[in-house]
Amino acid sequence: MTTPSAHRDGQPPLLVVDHISKIFGAVTAIKDITFTINAGQVVALVGDNGAGKSTLVKIISGLFPPTSGRVLLNGAECHFTRPADALHAGIETVYQDLALIEQLDVADNVFLGRETTRFGWIGRLLGILDRDTMRAQTADALADLHIKIPAPTLAVSSMSGGQRQAVAIGRAITWGRKLLILDEPTAALGVEETEQVLQMIEKLRGTAMSQLVISHNMQHVHRISDKIVVLRQGWHVATLTTAETDPQEIVAYITGAKQQTPVAEG
Amino acid sequence: MQSTRSTRAAQPRDGQTLGEFIARYGIFLVLIALVIVLTILTPIIRGEQFFLTVPNLIQVALQASINAIIAVGMTFVIVSAGIDLSVGSIVALAGVGAALVMRDTALGPVAGVGVALGIGALCGAFNGFLIARVKLPPFIATLGTMGIFRGIALVISEGRSIFGFDRTFVEIFSARIGDIPVAVIVAAGVALCGALVLRYTKFGKYTIAMGGSERTARLAGIPINRYKLGIYILSGLLTGIAAVLLLARLRSGDPTFGRLFELDAIAAAVMGGTSLSGGAGSIPGTIVGALIISLVRNALNIFNVPSYWQEVVIGGVIVLAVVLDQWRKRQSQRD
Ligand SMILES: Nc1ncnc2c1ncn2[C@@H]1O[C@H](COP(=O)(O)OP(=O)(O)OP(=O)(O)O)[C@@H](O)[C@H]1O
Ligand SMILES: [Mg+2]
Repeated sequence: MTTPSAHRDGQPPLLVVDHISKIFGAVTAIKDITFTINAGQVVALVGDNGAGKSTLVKIISGLFPPTSGRVLLNGAECHFTRPADALHAGIETVYQDLALIEQLDVADNVFLGRETTRFGWIGRLLGILDRDTMRAQTADALADLHIKIPAPTLAVSSMSGGQRQAVAIGRAITWGRKLLILDEPTAALGVEETEQVLQMIEKLRGTAMSQLVISHNMQHVHRISDKIVVLRQGWHVATLTTAETDPQEIVAYITGAKQQTPVAEG
Repeated sequence: MQSTRSTRAAQPRDGQTLGEFIARYGIFLVLIALVIVLTILTPIIRGEQFFLTVPNLIQVALQASINAIIAVGMTFVIVSAGIDLSVGSIVALAGVGAALVMRDTALGPVAGVGVALGIGALCGAFNGFLIARVKLPPFIATLGTMGIFRGIALVISEGRSIFGFDRTFVEIFSARIGDIPVAVIVAAGVALCGALVLRYTKFGKYTIAMGGSERTARLAGIPINRYKLGIYILSGLLTGIAAVLLLARLRSGDPTFGRLFELDAIAAAVMGGTSLSGGAGSIPGTIVGALIISLVRNALNIFNVPSYWQEVVIGGVIVLAVVLDQWRKRQSQRD
């Protein structure tokens, strides 16, 4: 397998996942995962249900620590204990079902946890919200991303699944500085909305923001990614360069029909 | 702005019809209808207009005030998808504590208020600790502290009423400014602040967010535990204020005071549109809910309904409120 410290031009990779394992009681969810994400790269994380993809995402985004191994961001080890830590470091994550708060409107969601206040220091102290500013900025940010929402004051509960996902991703792109993690971003979406999300990912590709995308659709994976990390029952079974593979081959690795290296550990 | 309004007028959404209007403002209509009905019925049944008089309406507001103050805190708690069953016991403990300090020391009314609010906040902090840190479900945690706080009130008062404390304290908090009782003014102030905090501050927004989806709020980086603690402290603190007013009104501190106060507070909040499953609620609605409960009690008194039956009626009103809540939820899901 690749060594995590493989520097390119002396620049450390944006993110290094270094021999990460996670054990839940008797269940070993992921075992010894190692890969890197370079700046601007789109890395796809694939594997069957229960392969450990979401577990890995949750470690990178600070939900819980790994049992062993390290995560490095720009060459420095991360010690995230809460989601807020990862957000602070510039890592944004969009979870499939937990993206937005239904009871709040679009702007309140986009600024959730990062509110702008008014009335100077008194307003900051009391946390008095500056909704006008936040709504205007939300409208601008979503328009920049070509996300069409009738108004930033629209209640999330009255939006379609596609609109919600678009807002959630828009929110993540707006705030993310280094890494955008998308856990099955198109799972609940129709054809048109799916295409919209794929295009957003493609548009971001090559910019300063790297992406880690989980998907069960190998056509999509093949289309949007630079590199593919395959997990199988918690094991890291392959790292593929997208340009050198095809959807059939990816599936073969996922199901175990094909193996990249003899699995010495197993 | 102009264009938004005209498009909305041009194409009314199906959901925004009578059903949604009633679901949203129904409780205000109920309040108005109740006032009209009582205004008409009272002279017919009692032969004289006992209801629509300034002293009686002030009495209604006074009767509602203590419940309203507690219910404002309860609204925050329920909107955050919690519950606080211990408020009645906090009223007893804070009242007894303040009465004892004022009777047995020379520290006076300021100390009395300080002790009541301090005990309220401390009790709230203990609830918050059990819920946010120990991770007990709010129902279980506050069911437990309901017993604990009441027990402590009984212990420190040795089960007896406490009389003979500071006269100034009683005079200040049972005074009237013009015709308006201090308790009503305090309740109005609490309601106004509560409404502003819930609608226009981070604290209010996070309360709603937490009640909507605690996990999503946590993933957005909101320090859930800190805000939970704050919400239960707020509930305890407001209950402490209510205890001060009750102490002054009844001129004694008693460890049995405040029984079933939690029911009235929950009923006021739910009637006013606070969702028992969290994520939604409004302070004006809660105040209207508290006024309706007070109006119903007032009407039952005017019509000489025996007090045991009053319990039955109030219980029925609460059940109706929850039915309304369910119906409202289905209404919004259909939307
Ligand atoms: N909190 C937890 N406690 C115990 N076991 C867990 C926990 N979270 C995940 N697991 C286990 O870890 C394994 C990997 O789960 P994970 O959710 O990471 O899979 P996944 O690859 O995301 O699957 P899917 O494609 O279905 O989303 C599963 O066996 C799961 O049961
Ligand atoms: Mg998953």
